[in-house]
Amino acid sequence: MKKVTLLFAMFFVCVGMTFAQKTVTGTVADNEGIPIIGANVLVKGTVTGTITDIDGNFSLEVPSDAQMLVVSYTGFGTQEVDISGVSNVNVVLADGVVLSEAVVTALGIKRDEKALGYAVQEVNAEDITRSGATNPVDALVGKSSGIQVTRSSGSVGGGSRILIRGVTSMVGDNQPLIVIDGVRTNNDTNLSQGSTSGTSASNRLMDLNPEDIESVNILKGAAATALYGTAGATGVVLITTKKGATGGDSFDINFSSSVGFDQITQMIDLQDTYAQGSGGAYRGPYTGASGSWGPLVSELEYSTDPNHPDAPVATGSRIAFNPDGSYAWDKNGFLVPKGTGNGQAANVYNNVDDFFQTGVSLNNSLAISGGGETATFRLSLSDLRASGVVPNESYDRKTVKLASTLTPTDKFSMGGSVNYTRADNVRVQQGSNTSGLLLGMLRTPVSFDNANGFSAADAVDEVSSYQFANFNQRNYRGGGGYDNPYWVINNALGYDNVDRVFGNVKADYRFSDWIGFGINLGYDMASDRRKQDFEIGSRTNASGAILIDEFATKILDNNFNITGNGYLNDDINLSYLLGANTFSYKYNQSNVDGFGLTFPGFLDISNATSLTSFSNAFNYNTLGFFGQVEAGWRSMAYLTLSARQDYDSRLGDPTNFDLSKTGFFYPSASLALVFSEMMNNTGPLSFGKLRMSWAQVGSGPPNPYSTASVFVSPSIGDGWGDNIGFPISGVSGFDQSSLLGNNELTPELSTTIELGADLRFLRDRLGLDVTVYKTNTKDAILNASLAPSTGYNNVWLNSGEMTSRGIELTLNANPVQTSKFNWNTQVNFTKSESIVDKLAPGIERLFLAGFSTAGTYLVEGNQYGAIFGGAYLRQEAGTDTDTSLNIPGGPVVINDDPDSAEYGFEATDPTQRAIGNPNPDFIIGWNNTFSFGNFSANFLLDWREGGDLWNGTAWALSFFGRSQLTADTRVETPTPIEGVLSDGSPNNIPVVRDQSYWQSSLGGFGFVGEQFVQDGGWVRLREVGLSYRIPSVEWMKGGSIGVSGRNLWLKTDYDGIDPETSLTGTGNGQGFDYFNMPATKSVIVKLSLNF
Amino acid sequence: MKNITKFCLMFLMVFTFASCENFIGGDINKDPNNPTSVPVSAQMPALTIALADNYGGMFSRFCSMLTQQVEGVARQWTSFNQYTGLAPNRFDSAWNNHYENTVNEIKIARTTAVDGGLNYYVGILDITEAFALMMATDVWDDMPYSEAFNGIATSSPAFDSQASIYDVIYTRLDSGLSSLAGAPGPATPGGDDVIYGGNTALWAKAAHAIKARGLLHQDNYSGAMAEAEMSFDSPSENMAFQYPDANNAGGWYRFNRDRTGDIEFHPTLRGIMTALQDTNRLKEIDQIFITDHTYMVPDFNQELITYREMQFVIAECAFRTGDSEKAHAAYLEGIKASFGRMGAAGYDEYIAQSDVDPGAGNLTLEQIMTQKYIAMFLQPEVYSDYRRTNIPELEPVSGSNVPVRWDYSSNEYLFNSNLTEGSVNMFTDRVGWNR
Repeated sequence: MKKVTLLFAMFFVCVGMTFAQKTVTGTVADNEGIPIIGANVLVKGTVTGTITDIDGNFSLEVPSDAQMLVVSYTGFGTQEVDISGVSNVNVVLADGVVLSEAVVTALGIKRDEKALGYAVQEVNAEDITRSGATNPVDALVGKSSGIQVTRSSGSVGGGSRILIRGVTSMVGDNQPLIVIDGVRTNNDTNLSQGSTSGTSASNRLMDLNPEDIESVNILKGAAATALYGTAGATGVVLITTKKGATGGDSFDINFSSSVGFDQITQMIDLQDTYAQGSGGAYRGPYTGASGSWGPLVSELEYSTDPNHPDAPVATGSRIAFNPDGSYAWDKNGFLVPKGTGNGQAANVYNNVDDFFQTGVSLNNSLAISGGGETATFRLSLSDLRASGVVPNESYDRKTVKLASTLTPTDKFSMGGSVNYTRADNVRVQQGSNTSGLLLGMLRTPVSFDNANGFSAADAVDEVSSYQFANFNQRNYRGGGGYDNPYWVINNALGYDNVDRVFGNVKADYRFSDWIGFGINLGYDMASDRRKQDFEIGSRTNASGAILIDEFATKILDNNFNITGNGYLNDDINLSYLLGANTFSYKYNQSNVDGFGLTFPGFLDISNATSLTSFSNAFNYNTLGFFGQVEAGWRSMAYLTLSARQDYDSRLGDPTNFDLSKTGFFYPSASLALVFSEMMNNTGPLSFGKLRMSWAQVGSGPPNPYSTASVFVSPSIGDGWGDNIGFPISGVSGFDQSSLLGNNELTPELSTTIELGADLRFLRDRLGLDVTVYKTNTKDAILNASLAPSTGYNNVWLNSGEMTSRGIELTLNANPVQTSKFNWNTQVNFTKSESIVDKLAPGIERLFLAGFSTAGTYLVEGNQYGAIFGGAYLRQEAGTDTDTSLNIPGGPVVINDDPDSAEYGFEATDPTQRAIGNPNPDFIIGWNNTFSFGNFSANFLLDWREGGDLWNGTAWALSFFGRSQLTADTRVETPTPIEGVLSDGSPNNIPVVRDQSYWQSSLGGFGFVGEQFVQDGGWVRLREVGLSYRIPSVEWMKGGSIGVSGRNLWLKTDYDGIDPETSLTGTGNGQGFDYFNMPATKSVIVKLSLNF
Repeated sequence: MKNITKFCLMFLMVFTFASCENFIGGDINKDPNNPTSVPVSAQMPALTIALADNYGGMFSRFCSMLTQQVEGVARQWTSFNQYTGLAPNRFDSAWNNHYENTVNEIKIARTTAVDGGLNYYVGILDITEAFALMMATDVWDDMPYSEAFNGIATSSPAFDSQASIYDVIYTRLDSGLSSLAGAPGPATPGGDDVIYGGNTALWAKAAHAIKARGLLHQDNYSGAMAEAEMSFDSPSENMAFQYPDANNAGGWYRFNRDRTGDIEFHPTLRGIMTALQDTNRLKEIDQIFITDHTYMVPDFNQELITYREMQFVIAECAFRTGDSEKAHAAYLEGIKASFGRMGAAGYDEYIAQSDVDPGAGNLTLEQIMTQKYIAMFLQPEVYSDYRRTNIPELEPVSGSNVPVRWDYSSNEYLFNSNLTEGSVNMFTDRVGWNR
């Protein structure tokens, strides 16, 4: 690690520094006298240095008091050269111990990388901070093979989902375990409402300041994570935070400050030609008409004449005119056919692009660190203030972290860290929600101005843009339908306030090489207090509502271990570990919802006339005992064996507890063969290793309380309006949960085989790392569906089987390395798939998330999380080639029943089918860094191939005639849709895909979902940056200034917002876009100074 | 040093193992927020309101739409109105509320009540179950019952014929009546009976009303008339759930609030009432379906079975059995109760029209059924009446038939192997009593 840091430091060091007072020149060669190009030459204890040129020469100006140079080059031993009193040195580097660097593995154990029989990949601090991402998860995109990161929402403070090697668990959380400084850390995403509505939510790793990260190690497979047991089955992200430097007296201050600007990337293609109405006739806001199926806007003009034959008439509570006689819904007047009004042409209002603003984020951080021979400390402070692209949205984060170590003797060391984070978010409603920002915004016809004549910036604070004096809403459906976006950002905001404390205390005592004790106690407490306001007049809660949730999470993770290692003889090295772990997870959600506000303008629970509340706990404990033995032979072959016995409270039956039923055992083995050590002449190959491993991991149920059936206080309703809940009229009620408990559950077990090779060439300037793996999961505990006639909807059942396989490639190269210019490039390739082999008996699919028209499911024989929904009828449906839930072969069948309202349209298949696969075919991250003198530049191309999204936004907007698609098809010449009639002959029924089509089973809100499944793949410029290294001067140890961009270029076939989105947030059901908040692109300017 | 090591190790091991049982066992896996058993008085309000909410929710919406009292005009409801959108998944919530939230709850509560000797609770639960089974089988025909409610033990319950379900209904009504007639047992229902507040005499009348409705479906006119006459003596005795307020509002109010514009008043019903100059009642119900609607109010009285329905049962049965005087009197009483329910004035002027009241001798079945159709606005029973009598005559919205039954739930198709997709034709497969 240190070497990498030094290497980076070198790149930025200026050749001629103004303060240097002495010049040292020299050459660097190997022991055969061949010059070494690009060797690092550094003044010891400073960042002053240079790189040798093509002849191995260097020339360096050093402070007059400089004593030593440190000369290093990958693949050779590092050498220190005394320069006191000399100005020319010739350095001969010996072929060194290749790869003497240790890597951090499970439980924070540092191991020689070549001893590893499994894949581990490291991402360093520079890669993290250079990304400009404020969420550490986002910073990892493209930096390692085997990972997939998806940001869920463009809302500032919205969370991201990370997967390592795709999905591992069928219904449990598939995100990897996050371990910070050896202790398990909370990365939950708490949802206040259903997964398809409400506001965006943060993932808790966002509470970590990325500037505090020293390195991130990605432990990918089961063998790598075996020591973490169940929790590590989904992979581990091992984060090491920065500590003060040891050795010598040092005191450093780092200050960095950045400002970022965010804008939305792209938006669905909307039509801007047709006005509100139906069947080609204009219908104004006062009619409540929902669609944009009216006439061309260009055929309309304004009128203010109340006697005009088309003058609006109030209907019900929908007014037409203000008390002063002016038209209520547009200051220009109401719309009438061209030629009959006042001659002022109808406006085309832009209710979308104008609405969004440039979000600004300010991020300041300060770190003070230092250390002596026996103690170190580091204190860091950070303050992030970000405003969103949506007015009034914001995300503020403040962090304080203190880490210190004490090593009073060489046998004993101790240390600890504490991190406090305060995060405050203001969020808007999104998704499938009548208060959802984009839902109302995108549906608004171009003939209606949500801002009521004000500029977008003014309308934000102008009440009359979105509300009448009588508190009725001013929106395009006459006050009904959906909230006006300007109303939403003023009256339907959500607030989160997070307080988070996490850290650890550790101590190690080493009696001898062969025996040492270590203990690491970790804690993590998070309190997330949420309040969502709905002012009176909200379209979601007409009488107003205050929804309060408080999430409290507490994690205690304690590890105790005994370790030792040494040589048995000259050839065999042995190391072992015995350990125990106790883990306790406690989560509690307390909810109070208040409805029926007494008067507007006071959004507090005390203003509510009716209250409902609930409390929801989720507690479990696990206990694990584990051991590992590693034997190494002559630095050539390494064998590692491990085993673990776990006890999991989630398997316990509370009514008849039996400890043995909660316990389970699983082993692993891995082998590393460094074959380059066995060869005398390796040619250009500088290092070669083969890896192989086999590992099992057991897990308990994904949720506690699965072993017994319970009664719940039900919410009553049918999904066509808000449910009602107890108490009702002062009476409380309970009903048996629809989820049947099962006290027969046993642990699920997955078995992984992994093979890999690590090949390096040309003195490690070129490296290729390949891994293939396969995981079989058996007895997966599924929330299996039951026919409702059984009296229940679901039961927990050991029944699922899944096979995951994948290939990962990492290519590292250093194509250009000269004293003036250096280029490092890394390509990470990830391809994984998880096939659902078996679900519960009689169950072909299992719901994960989404809607009834299209949802993500586990479908037997399909990839994990297949999008499942209505399909067109195919000719081969119902025949022998119809393999149940996949789309059958043959052309689409056309409805040729002349009595049908859908005559000439595609016929619908009564069976719902697997209509999309949200998992990408592959992911490639191409990461490049260039340095030239004091300048450095980088870019990261992120290519995600495939991965379907169900474009629910396009689906709904086709119904409303708002998408450009509907503007094009409503005027097409009558044409037969491609397909066959019921007798098999080619379709000859010409149709126009107008309002009747898009409002049928084939359009928005219709049964068929397949026509809105789109390829959500992309190629994007994920990161690009340029920075200048500020040389040190007497009062400052240097620094940097840089500009970077995220997501500045995006290429995708998806017709909607940026396809990096997920309606259901960070959960397992991915691949849904339903009025999601659009993603953002950013430009960040950053200054960093060291003192 | 070695001894210290050993001691530390032993201490840790013993400590860890001793606390293991407590750390993993104890109450850690017991859900602190949800009980594993509850008394019947805690279960009864939930299952009863679930029943009433289903009846006044999906049942009322679909039945009133199919009988053209209301019209789906926007979003998904456009396609439902056209019948094309009535895919199995559209029946999921009604089916699920019936099985999971109503009848399964009744089964569990009844076991608790029987074990505790709570006879009045047993009686009320029996009558409630009879009502629930009838409303369901009237639209779904054959349904799982005898093998249902067993959880995973019977994951694919067999379908019972409608006739056998009707047998269960009558058995439940009879046993319910006898339970209510006996000793109450250690506890009696009160506020936890959200229908009658523990008034067992009214429950007995409701049992007779339900029986009358069932016998009428089966064309047993004399039986139905006898039961109807043993039922309610005034509208105040209706079997109904009273929603409290906007926070826990009636189904139609919630629909109109949250799905504004999806459903509106139907021109067919408007035409029928206009032709009869039924302006006062029409004014009360023919309004835009928004929260300001004066009939679909938040504190809606969700009727399950009513005095006015019984009057029309008597009218129809008396008419069919030749007692025109009795038919005439009950007919007028039914109309009068309807004016009362809708809060409309002008009953006397209305029946003064010969179209409405042609006198006992000239009264027709069409007039009786048309007035019942109007009087039972939003009551799902209208759909049964229409299928039995074809009155009023309705023009199918699309195709050549009005659906004569509902399809099963998509979840039942998926998870019950006794049901194959596409086995139901909603336009031709009439339910048992309708064949």
